[in-house]
Amino acid sequence: MRGKEVIASLKEFISDDTLIVSSNGNVSRQAYNFLPQPQVYLRGSMGLPMSIGLGLALAQPEKQVLVITGDGNFLMGLSSMTTIGNYKPPNLKIIILDNAIYATTGGQETVSSTVDYLKLLEGFGIQHYGSLNSIKSPSKLLEAFEILLTSKQTTVLHINVEEDIENLENIPWQPKEIKNKFMEKI
Amino acid sequence: MIKSIDILNYLSENNFELSTGVPCSYFKELLIELDKSADIQYIAATREDEAVGIACGYYLGKKNCFLIIQNSGLATIGDAFTSLAQLYEIPLLIFVSYRGLEPDKTFPEHVIMGNVTEAVLNAYGIPYWNMKGENWRKILDEALERMKEDSSVVCILVEKGVII
Ligand SMILES: Cc1ncc(C[n+]2csc(CCOP(=O)(O)OP(=O)(O)O)c2C)c(N)n1
Ligand SMILES: [Mg+2]
Repeated sequence: MRGKEVIASLKEFISDDTLIVSSNGNVSRQAYNFLPQPQVYLRGSMGLPMSIGLGLALAQPEKQVLVITGDGNFLMGLSSMTTIGNYKPPNLKIIILDNAIYATTGGQETVSSTVDYLKLLEGFGIQHYGSLNSIKSPSKLLEAFEILLTSKQTTVLHINVEEDIENLENIPWQPKEIKNKFMEKI
Repeated sequence: MIKSIDILNYLSENNFELSTGVPCSYFKELLIELDKSADIQYIAATREDEAVGIACGYYLGKKNCFLIIQNSGLATIGDAFTSLAQLYEIPLLIFVSYRGLEPDKTFPEHVIMGNVTEAVLNAYGIPYWNMKGENWRKILDEALERMKEDSSVVCILVEKGVII
């Protein structure tokens, strides 16, 4: 499956009490197009979606915070996972959409394929659902989403997705509008 | 000189419930006091841009977080300012140690940043105040008012020995 198909299939698991933070570039455009609005759509701050999710999870402990991040963003912000591993807000969930490329900037390879994500997450002391290969076993996705979003502890789901460098249209909302709409819904 | 506990009480009265950052020795006492605080939690970030991310997420969740960083962190933090905090117009209070001034000349690693600290803040378009002496409450009042009015990042520069 492609990243956008994975994101679209998340839809039925998203309630009014789910707050989504999506990483810059394609991932946030896909979240904007395929998931209930409004959410936190990042235009920049590459590497920071997990930190923003941590802050949001601490401020809104009654809500589920779901961070959807590309592999490039995740690797850039890797050290923030140590902070998350230390504080572990139970309502913070992270999905890594690993296409092993910087799709947004034209599909240049990332070094993601070097990483053993499960060992990495274990090293951080973070609960993980496992690594899913959406290409080989798409049917397991829905079960994984259910577990992730009902889990009572910080949980990460790493998903290998197909390369897809098709760019969606830019998000039409101005950043300030994104903030205002999101904060009005809480 | 300003007592750490007085600053924390002031911040708590102004609805700050969280703080984050990367330590500077100028904030040693403040961080010890923060550790004891029942009103304000401190999250030990690994980088200053991460700390901006945490504070912005916390604000989007309708609560207030301030940052405590060294001025060297102003160099690490750039994109978090320009493409997150400033872009989304998120109010953010940051205490920045002002290292690299004259008494710090034995720490060459701080001298260059010390020389450009105010120029860097000016370049980002971030208003700043050098907080020292008796009128610190007035300075913080002014900074917070500006932060809220403009929904902007504001920095408080803190020289050596100012906060005890
Ligand atoms: C600090 C910084 N460096 C580079 C970029 C350019 N850039 C925008 S999106 C992107 C790729 C992000 O990769 P990933 O998170 O894997 O998402 P994908 O594009 O693969 O969906 C890059 C490098 C940027 N926005 N910010
Ligand atoms: Mg990618």
